Amino acid sequence: MKRREFVIKSATLAAGGMVLPYILPSGRLFARTNAPKADHVVFVMFGGGLRQQDSILQRYLADSQGYNVEGNILYNMLEGAAPASKIAYGIAPSGQPNGSQPIPKILSQSLQKQGTIFQEMRAISGGHYGGWNSLITGSRVEGQGLKVRPMNPTIFEYARRFGGYKATDVWFIGNTISNSIPLLNSSKHPDFGLQYGANFFAPGITFGGDGYAALSNAKIYHPQEELEPVYKMKNFLDNTFNIKKGDMPGIRNTDDEKTQIKEFIANTFQRQSSGLLPMPPVSGGDGSTIGYAAEVLRVFKPKLLVVNLSNIDGCHSNFTGYLQAMHRADHAMGFLWNYIQTQIPEMSGKTIMTFVPECGRNLQHNPIQDENDWYGYDHGDSNSLRVFGGMVGQNVPSNLLVGNETNPVGKVTDMALTIADILGFKDEVKAAGLVDFESMSLFDRI
Amino acid sequence: MHIFKPALILVFLIGISACKKKDSNTYEVVDTSSYGDNLNKDKSKSNIEFHSILSTNLFQKPSSINELSRTDRVMQSCGDKSLINEVIISNYMNSANVKLPSRKMMTDSTERFIEETFIRFFIRRPTEAEKTWFTNFINANKSNPNFRPELVYTAFAASDEYMFY
Repeated sequence: MKRREFVIKSATLAAGGMVLPYILPSGRLFARTNAPKADHVVFVMFGGGLRQQDSILQRYLADSQGYNVEGNILYNMLEGAAPASKIAYGIAPSGQPNGSQPIPKILSQSLQKQGTIFQEMRAISGGHYGGWNSLITGSRVEGQGLKVRPMNPTIFEYARRFGGYKATDVWFIGNTISNSIPLLNSSKHPDFGLQYGANFFAPGITFGGDGYAALSNAKIYHPQEELEPVYKMKNFLDNTFNIKKGDMPGIRNTDDEKTQIKEFIANTFQRQSSGLLPMPPVSGGDGSTIGYAAEVLRVFKPKLLVVNLSNIDGCHSNFTGYLQAMHRADHAMGFLWNYIQTQIPEMSGKTIMTFVPECGRNLQHNPIQDENDWYGYDHGDSNSLRVFGGMVGQNVPSNLLVGNETNPVGKVTDMALTIADILGFKDEVKAAGLVDFESMSLFDRI
Repeated sequence: MHIFKPALILVFLIGISACKKKDSNTYEVVDTSSYGDNLNKDKSKSNIEFHSILSTNLFQKPSSINELSRTDRVMQSCGDKSLINEVIISNYMNSANVKLPSRKMMTDSTERFIEETFIRFFIRRPTEAEKTWFTNFINANKSNPNFRPELVYTAFAASDEYMFY
């Protein structure tokens, strides 16, 4: 071998030897580009359209119904005294007026005291699906129609591709199967897509009456003697058929993950009938969705879980119901954070919870009045782009308020980069070039 | 009488010319039923189509529209369609009304069992490679008492090809 040839071959081998150990199972070449801030992220899309005046600004009925009554009905999340009169945001004990009993506070310290609140952020869209899209993808595709997966990659796909996570590490819990919610677990972007999508449940259906009839009587097959031959035959048939990537009807778990999720489904029905599921003290609607999200956290300890709430959207025709839904959602948030800290040791102290609604609500009311003759509010005007958000947990500054009515700080499209920042792949998400070019990690906004 | 004689001759001549000897050609081709292959299955079944066909295959009778709508909602509520199909299939397998071939039929008439299973689920015959693989697989699992037609049916019903037409 000539000297020149020897030098070239040696250099190639040495370079290969240095690079190969860094190729991760996900196909990435390098390890994470920024130091993770926490091991787990829980992102609550605190939504359905939350009017800034009635929530963070704590004006209760003063800026909506013409009554001079102010106060904070989100007291697990925010600091501030509750309204002193016209109490209609609570629950309805038998024989007492609707909403007359506020739900007791769960957290000894509000999320505001424990973490950082961005008091005045900007939404991208005054509508739900555009809003969800911007929260999940960090991009500005506000005009996308329903019944279509997001055009740009979701934070789930970034997490699985750049973080190297498996499917059961990444979950999306939806409150419904309407409004294209089940399509938000993955985009249709050719470089990402279902192969990097999140596991999804809409617990109201999966574990409700429909799911009970279709799933609860499922056989639990023996993993080695029964399931193994089934998967061997199925894998042979699938290899023969050779489905194309773009034709995949859903995300894919490995055979082991499938077995784990099947056991989860069976156990959830059992725990449900035994009353063992971790539900907020006042449950139902969004509260139940949060309860099932807590169950997924307890079992899978995922790296990323996103949960969507939307009972608040009843504000279109029922302002009283909207106040009650907000109050219950705050209660559910307090429960979830408390559950993570006290009941899941693997996640306690290692998790950041973030929250922001997908959009706000209009400045002016619509003509629909509810049982209290209070007017409803739609969404779509410039006031609908006013929202607040926050985060709490490991490495999040405590008791910090950022921005105010005259100085908006943060956008809903920041959430994707914030989650990427927390989990340690922010630079790769930025480099992909598919998020809003003005978006930043909320940590960088502080 | 003289009038009818030429007419009779004419009818006789037409009759002779109209009659033709039937040619009976035999090409010695064996009659066979026509089934497709899996190459052109590129359309995904909707959730309702999938479960309508599945329940017909397993119960030999169609599901009610209420049951199909319910199953459709459940499928939409889960991100991994393949996984939720498997759970729904195993839920069906727990029903007393499911119609399955016997284990004896599977082990004693393996080739026929494989062929009928392919036709039932995929509307096609197995290729030689598929037939050989399944024959070997079934023979290799004869000693496993838990290996039964239910598991073969589950694998077919949960396969990618079954989700397409």
